[in-house]
Amino acid sequence: MEAEEFLLVRDMFRAFAVRFRIGSADEVKPTARTTAQEALGELGLAGLRRSSPPAATVQECALLAEEHGRQPLTTSLVGTVLLAPELLRLLERAEPSAHGGTPTIALAHDLRFPGSAPDSSPSRLLAWDCEGADSALCVTPDGTVTALELGATAPGIDLLRDIRSTSSESPARVLGRLDAQEYRHWQAYALVMMSSELVGAAGSFVRLSVEYARERRQYGRAIGSFQAVQHLLADATVLVEACTSATRYAAWCLDNESPARALTAARVAKAEVNASALDAVYTGMQVFGGIAQTWEHIAHLYLRKVRLGAMTLATTADLLTTLAQPELTR
Amino acid sequence: MDFELTEDQETIRKAVVGLLRDFDDRYWMEKDRDHRFPEEFYAAVANGGWLGLTIPEEYGGHGLGITEATLLLEEVARSGGGMNAASSIHMSIFGMQPVVVHGSEELKRRTLPRVATGDLHVCFGVTEPEAGLDTANITTFARRNGDHYVVNGRKVWISKAVESEKILLLTRTTKVDEVARRTDGMTLFLTDLDRDRIDVRPIPKMGRNAVTSNELFIDELRVPVEDRVGEEGQGFRYLLDGLNPERMLIAAEALGIGRVALEKAVSYGNERLVFGRPIGMNQAIQFPLADSLARLDAAELILRKATWLYDNGRPCGREANTAKYLCADAGFTAADRALQTHGGMGYSEEYHVARYFREARLMKIAPISQEMILNYLGSHTLGMPRSY
Repeated sequence: MEAEEFLLVRDMFRAFAVRFRIGSADEVKPTARTTAQEALGELGLAGLRRSSPPAATVQECALLAEEHGRQPLTTSLVGTVLLAPELLRLLERAEPSAHGGTPTIALAHDLRFPGSAPDSSPSRLLAWDCEGADSALCVTPDGTVTALELGATAPGIDLLRDIRSTSSESPARVLGRLDAQEYRHWQAYALVMMSSELVGAAGSFVRLSVEYARERRQYGRAIGSFQAVQHLLADATVLVEACTSATRYAAWCLDNESPARALTAARVAKAEVNASALDAVYTGMQVFGGIAQTWEHIAHLYLRKVRLGAMTLATTADLLTTLAQPELTR
Repeated sequence: MDFELTEDQETIRKAVVGLLRDFDDRYWMEKDRDHRFPEEFYAAVANGGWLGLTIPEEYGGHGLGITEATLLLEEVARSGGGMNAASSIHMSIFGMQPVVVHGSEELKRRTLPRVATGDLHVCFGVTEPEAGLDTANITTFARRNGDHYVVNGRKVWISKAVESEKILLLTRTTKVDEVARRTDGMTLFLTDLDRDRIDVRPIPKMGRNAVTSNELFIDELRVPVEDRVGEEGQGFRYLLDGLNPERMLIAAEALGIGRVALEKAVSYGNERLVFGRPIGMNQAIQFPLADSLARLDAAELILRKATWLYDNGRPCGREANTAKYLCADAGFTAADRALQTHGGMGYSEEYHVARYFREARLMKIAPISQEMILNYLGSHTLGMPRSY
């Protein structure tokens, strides 16, 4: 995509985000969610990578995921707009029109990649980030992609992200199979998009904390003038920079390097994000003080998103264990 | 619950502080710089009667407990002597416990009074190149030959071996593949460090340079049977008795270094003016030091609990390990922050915090690493599977 073209897409997305972001947890309502998701659908972003070659690079998609993470939005961007369409794109190379409707992706019951958990039977899979979705696509470690119907809403701590069980009544329908390269690409892509959204959330929350530290006065001066507050925020900024760089590099690898190398970079990025993005949000919470502990404040929405996000797809333990292995055996 | 020291303990503390006034930071800086054993300090401690603090009265000591020993060593480290001072007397203060508890009457009469007076320096010979914390893996072997044993092998990281007349030496008398349990078949000796048979080579190292750390090459060392501590094959079990007290002593020493480092940092923070005000007015300087104070205080409390439990004959593995873990961490962090507070000056030996930093770092490794402490707490205290 030309730079100007991407800037237009990004501005359009930003306008959407500003319009549909919520002001507090009380605004998370089914009708509002549906309306916002429909508005997101109208932006047509799911088709960004449908053409061959794709109109948008992975890096551009990652930047949009960052944007989505910046605001408290109830919409599903990563699941239904970025991940599932990418999966279908990979499948459609061999088998056009493998699946219709609006799928999201299915994860293991602990929200890791299917096959990571000891019990990843289809009846225990979850449709993740499924606002507006009508099915869920599951990719098993051998590359097999199946479509599952959605079940009931599942409880989750992330109030912004809809999660549902998958239906155990209708059988999973096999859509096709990714080869080893495609499976690596898929995992790397998923890790990068997830990481990007978390990077956006952490960066945005730190920025909000900085603004608060500028405005909030104690002992006759802005609390941000206290070194103990200022340095906390400087540290948090460094953390966000670290995970931003790691994630953007992984996105660049997906556009420019082999899937194996991209997957390594994506694993590094997600491991960094799992630790640093969460620490940055903790720091922001500390700076906000008591106000951040209230239900009305949006702080807990960011905390929930990043806390759960740090465990989604791959935990730090999963990633570090894999990264510690020789590259050929991963 | 009583957080007060007893009158006797307070007296010990004050007396030690008074005794140590003659040995200031300059003294320790020079000893460390010149790699010279602190003989004057050692003599002062010995003449004050402190070396025999925990040795039973019938062998010339005072028969006091680990609580008093930790108070002494904490003050010694806190005086600015750090690990140089503590290590020069550490073995004498509590290291003879295996001999006190398991040694023959003859061996005790022959050695303990001399340790108490300071006449006899002893070092502790356990670790080997292939057996650091995995003690059962030692290969230094003592072969029985009539009324004596013949020892061959190699030891490493033996503190104070250069200065010592005797060594408390752990050997195998049965090979590891010939015993039912890996900890069987080890025998402990308190014997002469015969320079004709033991080549002692100091290891160049990062800090604590007034007291050597050495490699020992033992070649056909003759050890009389009378020098054996307790029964043959039981050496490892005798050492176990001393593990918890050792953790507590090290904890006290780390605590002492942390305290003196913090004191130095606070006074520098109050004196040093930058941008027209004391640097200690900056929260970025003040808060880390306040945090270190809190951490040192908390670490001290668990240490006090551990020594109280031990002196009252109660199990104390959890507390002794926790004390070592927290004191080492709090002590090192305080030293690190003291160095940071001093800025460029902290890197100069003249301000002493660089020496504390080098020595405090050791406490996170010796005599047991922080990671092995977590192994202990994970498997023994929490009941989780052993990971090694």
